[in-house]
Amino acid sequence: MDKAFQGEHLIPGHIGQALVILSFGAALLSAISYYFATTDKSAPGNSWLWMGRIGFFINSICILGVGVSLFYILYNHYFEYHYAWSYTSRDLPVYYLVSGFWNGQEGGFLLWTFWQAVLGNILIWKSKSWEKPVMTVVAFSQVFLASMILGVEIFGAKIGSSPFLLLRHAIEAPIFSRPDYLSFIKDGQGMNPLLQNYWMVIHPPTLFLGLASVVVPFSYAIAGLWQRRYKEWVAPAIPYALFSAMILGTGVIMGSLWAYESLNFGGFWAWDPVENASIFPWLTMVAGLHVLIVFKNTGHSYFTATFLVLISFIMVLYSSFLARSGILGETSVHSFVDLGMFWHLVSYIIVFLVISAWFLISRWKELPVNKKDEETYSREFWMFVGSIFLALSCFHLLLVTSIPVWNSMFGTKVAPPIDLVGHYNIIQASFAMVIMLLTGFTQFLKYKNTDVSRFFISTIVYLVVALLITVPAVYFSGLYKLHFVFLLVMLGSVYSLLVNGKILADALKGKIKLAGSAVAHIGFGLMLVGALIAAGTRNTVSVNDSGNIPIPGFSQSPAEAKVAGDAHDNIMIYKNEPVKMGIYTVTYIGDSTSEPNHYYKVDYKRFDAKGKIAEEFELKPHVQISALMGMTSSPDTKHYLTHDLYTHITAIPQPKAAPTADSQTAADHGDQNDDKNYDPPITHEVAIGDTIRFREGFMIVRGLKKEKALQNIPLTDSDVAIGAQIQVYSNNKTYTAEPVYMIRGKSVFDFARAVDEIGLKLRITKIIPEKSKVEITVYQQPENKKPYIVMRALDFPYINFLWSGTAIMIIGFLLSIFRRNKELKVV
Amino acid sequence: MKKSSIIGLVVIAVAIAVIVSIYAGASSYGSFGEAKKSGSVLQVVGVLDKQKELYYDAAKNANYFSFYVKDKKGEECKVVYGNTEPQDFEKSEQIVLTGQMIGNEFHASAILMKCPSKYTKNKLDDQTFESKSSSL
Repeated sequence: MDKAFQGEHLIPGHIGQALVILSFGAALLSAISYYFATTDKSAPGNSWLWMGRIGFFINSICILGVGVSLFYILYNHYFEYHYAWSYTSRDLPVYYLVSGFWNGQEGGFLLWTFWQAVLGNILIWKSKSWEKPVMTVVAFSQVFLASMILGVEIFGAKIGSSPFLLLRHAIEAPIFSRPDYLSFIKDGQGMNPLLQNYWMVIHPPTLFLGLASVVVPFSYAIAGLWQRRYKEWVAPAIPYALFSAMILGTGVIMGSLWAYESLNFGGFWAWDPVENASIFPWLTMVAGLHVLIVFKNTGHSYFTATFLVLISFIMVLYSSFLARSGILGETSVHSFVDLGMFWHLVSYIIVFLVISAWFLISRWKELPVNKKDEETYSREFWMFVGSIFLALSCFHLLLVTSIPVWNSMFGTKVAPPIDLVGHYNIIQASFAMVIMLLTGFTQFLKYKNTDVSRFFISTIVYLVVALLITVPAVYFSGLYKLHFVFLLVMLGSVYSLLVNGKILADALKGKIKLAGSAVAHIGFGLMLVGALIAAGTRNTVSVNDSGNIPIPGFSQSPAEAKVAGDAHDNIMIYKNEPVKMGIYTVTYIGDSTSEPNHYYKVDYKRFDAKGKIAEEFELKPHVQISALMGMTSSPDTKHYLTHDLYTHITAIPQPKAAPTADSQTAADHGDQNDDKNYDPPITHEVAIGDTIRFREGFMIVRGLKKEKALQNIPLTDSDVAIGAQIQVYSNNKTYTAEPVYMIRGKSVFDFARAVDEIGLKLRITKIIPEKSKVEITVYQQPENKKPYIVMRALDFPYINFLWSGTAIMIIGFLLSIFRRNKELKVV
Repeated sequence: MKKSSIIGLVVIAVAIAVIVSIYAGASSYGSFGEAKKSGSVLQVVGVLDKQKELYYDAAKNANYFSFYVKDKKGEECKVVYGNTEPQDFEKSEQIVLTGQMIGNEFHASAILMKCPSKYTKNKLDDQTFESKSSSL
């Protein structure tokens, strides 16, 4: 039944949907053609190869077209499309419309398939004799990704989820039976405020490029097994593996930088299952990379190298399954809900797992084996051991993160460890310690074999120096209070930094080839040092016990406070009332709004010993309040070279409710009802120059003046209006207020003036001409009616090591990519 | 013995150690009744009782938030959380609490909420739907 609906724009959706289906068909054609191009050597000319290429080009162009159609829909706010309605709204700026693009799962797949298409085109251009088998695998993966966004029903089962789904098809509601339903859908749901952040614009494309790029070394590994070119695939695959590890690592760290800059859990890593899943492929890829180099140099460990490369891609698929299948349910804050693609995602994993396993098993007997035992004092042997530990660390993460998967597979009901973060920290730190020591002493070993006594002397000398540096570092940073494993990680990292620093110094003198790995290792060491100190010695600045009135039954002995989580982390601050917090004196001085953000200005002052202001700055943490999301808070951070002061709002007074019947009547009654917001008033008889004291300061009557004009009210000659000029002093600030008393005929009016910042209202309630005095009535808001914020402030020491380490590691990867590429051209 | 077999043994040993440590650390989802009995820290899955008061008064104590949760067995208990009210708390459909019983209150150290409407909005929320039909 097709009904005509008014105002719908169906053309871009039809075009987009047609292109989605075409992209699927083209990918399939490309995969099949490349397959026959690889296997059917008897076919004349290169017809299969050309069909494969053309199929892939068509697929790439279709994906671009799908992207353009979707963006056209988002840009023009066609809310008849479910995707546009779900993730965008009219007030969203254009650059967030771009990120609205990959807000939903369909957009994520689109981004992924886009990058895979880009990489495929590079491979067609560059891979020469490898093109046919490698592109068979890439095109086959492209078929799966295209199927994810098909959204077509075949035999009653829906395959994939299309971004061009219409709202009226996505949601069942009586409203959609009206032909003019669109006129009631004025705006979209809008973007989750947490995602309205510039990181959302750059983080997903980077991460998806990283995830997509894993397919390249994977395809080379499969091609190597398939074509029995066991040794040849390694050299061309290494630069791609390096690229993949570099981009994936960058994407993950961008995610944690985003969390740190704009989310409010107070850190950069929370061991959330979705976060963990994003580093599975990174760990196995970095491990695989090292073993590839081992194999290239010695001919050992072929199976391990291939296995790690293959498993990296399986990990990419598995992590996408974890994030998108809804299986994480109770354990993750930010996983998606199942779009009915559970088995579709599972099939993607199983198909590629079976392909990998089949090739490994069928070629098992032919795999190159080096019969010679590894040399104990060779660099390759210990590189291999280090890679194994990287893989083991991935194994641990995988086991714990997948607890919900085990539960649903075996029908058990195991909960993750109670102190989950502690569990991850300790076990992952143990692996990190071993890996860091290995990245250190392995550098003293030569490829193939080494002078043993020299090796031990340099290893031990550097270890002693590392110890001499670590001990004071641990002492002064306060790390010594932590579990000893973290101290060992620190020692390992410092050791690795020293050794790789020496290698880098040597490299600059001549052995420039080694610079890449040394730089990457230094970067990684710095990252660990930064993460360790920042997370381990993060301290709460906003501790303030004086403001807490104990509540019966809520005792807070330190032990219980620990059980009860971050007790005492939050501090409440009334507007314009300075509060001492750690070394700072903090004042909430005001708000400003720039839709949709509401900023709270918090003034920080630090006084030196003499009581002079040594430092003053303002932080503006903000919140967004939306009907859909409630309050969303984002921090503001003061960055220093050696530490960061991080502040975010954790609670604000209940936002004023929308006008209800009650408040309407309240407005009618005007001032009298407003008085309910204040404590019982106090009257003072004062003359000019007199002082009135109140709870948070005092005020002086500067003068009485006959008013010539009164806003809104025309004054005639017979009216008498007297204003009192009052200066109010509170918390080192001065305000002026001028309440007015008016006599018109026989009636008396008075006009109150409020000083909202300090919750004060002043009225002239009587004039006493015989004493030349007036009666001033002072209304003061009770404490809890005054504007306040509740905030949390954290100090992250040395977090810049983490960010700068990341940048250095990227440089190291780049150097290595250049080096390996050069080697490739020479050979 | 070849070095590769030594490495194999080390890998197996570490893998076993990892599994054991997870097994030892793994907890179970329990109920308030079990929490009362054992007195130890455990995780409770339940639903927020929206009829009862959510108490948070920053002026009295900025680090005290209390509410009532009904666990999967239907038992209701007052829960105290030494922090501010988590974002979107009232909209949660399911809550996972980690903590222990102290007296008659469950003191939570961590709260994990599931708000399905947050990341995918496949259903027209009741709220939005009402507002639309009222504008008809």
